[in-house]
Amino acid sequence: MKNQVRELRGDRGWSQADLAERLDVSRQTINAIETGKYDPSLPLAFKIARLFGQSIETIFEPD
Amino acid sequence: MARFTEKQYRNQLSLAMVAYMAAMLLIWPLSRTAASVPLKVVLAVVPVLPMLFVIGLMARRIGASDEFEQRVHLLALGAATALLGALSLVGGFLDAAGVLALRGSILIWVFPVTMLGYGAARWWLLVRHYGGSAGCEGSSPGWQLFLLGVLVLMVLGVAWWHGRLDAFQTGLLFGLAPGVLLLLGVLLWRRLRRAADKD
Repeated sequence: MKNQVRELRGDRGWSQADLAERLDVSRQTINAIETGKYDPSLPLAFKIARLFGQSIETIFEPD
Repeated sequence: MARFTEKQYRNQLSLAMVAYMAAMLLIWPLSRTAASVPLKVVLAVVPVLPMLFVIGLMARRIGASDEFEQRVHLLALGAATALLGALSLVGGFLDAAGVLALRGSILIWVFPVTMLGYGAARWWLLVRHYGGSAGCEGSSPGWQLFLLGVLVLMVLGVAWWHGRLDAFQTGLLFGLAPGVLLLLGVLLWRRLRRAADKD
C-alpha cells in the first residue's frame, strides 16, 4: 500500500525516531510503513491519521 | 507501567547467560557424583533455571513489542520451529534406520538450535525482507560489555580453580580469548562510531 507518511513526516521536520516516539512504536515499524513493506493495523492507521490531522484515505492508498 | 525496553532485555539476558555458564561449569558437574537420585536431579536441572528465565524474558519482550515487531518475532519463531521440526525428523529417521546413533542428551540442543534459527530468521526478515536494520535501538554503553566480560572471566576463573576445566578446555578457552576480545573491540568501535554519527 502506498502512503504519504514519509512526506508528512518530512513536512514537520521529524525524524523516524521522532515519529516512532509520538506513535509509541519502534523506528523499524515507521521505516517498514514508509517503504510500503508493512501495512499498519487499523488502530495504528487511525493514530497516524489523527497525528497528521488528515483522513486515512488521504494518507494511505491501495496499490 | 514503563515499557520493557531492548536495553533492559539485553542486560537481563546477559546476566542470565552468565548465570547459565556458572551453573554449567560449577554446579552441573556435581550431579555426576551426587550420592542420591533426588540430589542428582536437582543438580542436573539447575542450569534450566536461567534458561526458563530467558524464555520468560523473550515472552515479555514479544509482549511489549509493537505490532510490527510482534509480527517479525512470531514469524521468526515459526520459521525456527519449522527448521527444528525438519532437523528432528531427519535425525529421528536416520537414527531409526541405524545410520546415526543419537543419545537422549541431544535434546539439550533443541533450545539453542531454536534460538539460532529464530535469530537468523529475524535478521533475514528485518534486513532482507523489510529493508531495515536488525540492530537494537538504544545501544548500551561499552562499560556494560566490559562488566559482562569480567563476570564471564570470573566464572571461568573459578571453574579453572576448582578443576572443572580439563587441559583441552583450558587450552581452547585461551585460544578463543583473543578472538572474543577482538570481536568485542569491533562491536564497541561500531557503537562508538554510530554514536558519533548521530551527534
